[in-house]
Amino acid sequence: MQKLGELKLPPFFNYPPYFTLQPVRETREKQIQLWKELILDYCRTQKIFVVGLEEDFPLFSNPAIERSLNHEARVAFLSAIVSDGRAEWMDKGHRRCLILWHRIQDWADIILRFVKENGLEDSVMTVEEMRSGIESRGTDVHGMDRTVLMRALKLLENKGKLAIFKGTSTDDEGVKFSV
Amino acid sequence: MRRRAGIGGLQNAAAARDQYRLLGENVARLRTDLMKEQLSTFRSQLEDFARKHKNDIRKNPAFRSQFHEMCAKVGVDPLASNKGFWAELLGIGDFYYELGVQIVDVCLATRPHNGGLINLEELCKLLSQRRKGAREVVSEDDCLRAIGKLKVLGSGFEVITVGKRKLVRSVPTELKKDHNEILELSQAQGFVTVEEVERRLSWSSGRATDALETLLDEGLAMIDEGHRDGKRRYWFPCVSSVSSFVASETL
Repeated sequence: MQKLGELKLPPFFNYPPYFTLQPVRETREKQIQLWKELILDYCRTQKIFVVGLEEDFPLFSNPAIERSLNHEARVAFLSAIVSDGRAEWMDKGHRRCLILWHRIQDWADIILRFVKENGLEDSVMTVEEMRSGIESRGTDVHGMDRTVLMRALKLLENKGKLAIFKGTSTDDEGVKFSV
Repeated sequence: MRRRAGIGGLQNAAAARDQYRLLGENVARLRTDLMKEQLSTFRSQLEDFARKHKNDIRKNPAFRSQFHEMCAKVGVDPLASNKGFWAELLGIGDFYYELGVQIVDVCLATRPHNGGLINLEELCKLLSQRRKGAREVVSEDDCLRAIGKLKVLGSGFEVITVGKRKLVRSVPTELKKDHNEILELSQAQGFVTVEEVERRLSWSSGRATDALETLLDEGLAMIDEGHRDGKRRYWFPCVSSVSSFVASETL
């Protein structure tokens, strides 16, 4: 079976008609379901947060069978993920899509776990440190998309778990945990 | 012989007819009795045989199929009832009952993908995947028998033959001759184009398009606009092996 990164590609990926948006409703629903799962799985294993519709996203074409998704199909599949609450359009023209393979709430929980496991309950960190520092290495927080991270942090701030403040010396924001 | 006239002659003729009929009935009865006796001997021997080869019948699908054939010849249907001698002896009723339920399951699970038409081979493959834990092997013959029993439920399960393949239909759609011919044609590559249908079957363009559109609406076909030549291809998941893969994910 073909592989893309660590992800085993499902067999439908090699069946040409799955690359054409199906005209019959029931068939299309099944098709969309399979694509939704594939896109989310792929983004999760590859830690991809943003999918550009006009970019060379590896899932959008399969050279082995010489098929690729047209714009309409790409929009249809991503829109379906958006309506499931697992993605958001980043612009009005629907050119870029933010993929939330963990929902913001789940990301917030992951951050809390990370804080507790590293004994950072009363510490101060910068946002950039969280994304690329030593502490987060090997956790899901490492390499997180900044937009998603900020949204999760804001959610935690609203719950009183931390405070976000502007740093004095750098442009970066700081986070004071009070878990 | 000169025909005897009068009422006496008529009565004689009638009496003779009665005699002949009686004699005929006697001969027939004798023959039937003899036949019945032979059959009952055979049946009891069949039962002995079944008792002796119980394990083979349960575990070996080829043996099971031959046993069924033998039973059919003497008018014994081990599947007819879940009670009684045969079921108790072999537990064979339960086997097919369970298989039938699993067949319905698989057909329902794969329906969104194949429109309710599945290759018998695929069905068997999926069933074996499902029954990994069970010791008994399932053959195509077993599937056909189990489906035969499902028909009694009037649920529209049916086995149709298209070309060399057997397909199991779990939707009430009646496939017309035109549709069967297209399915048969598609078995070579897994897909057809309108042009190919027109050329190979010598149909008018309208006839080909109509039949293909119907198959599409029924969920039996999927379109593919992605080929270099720009011609729309109609793919049939029920004749391609891809259906087993897609289905196994959802099962």
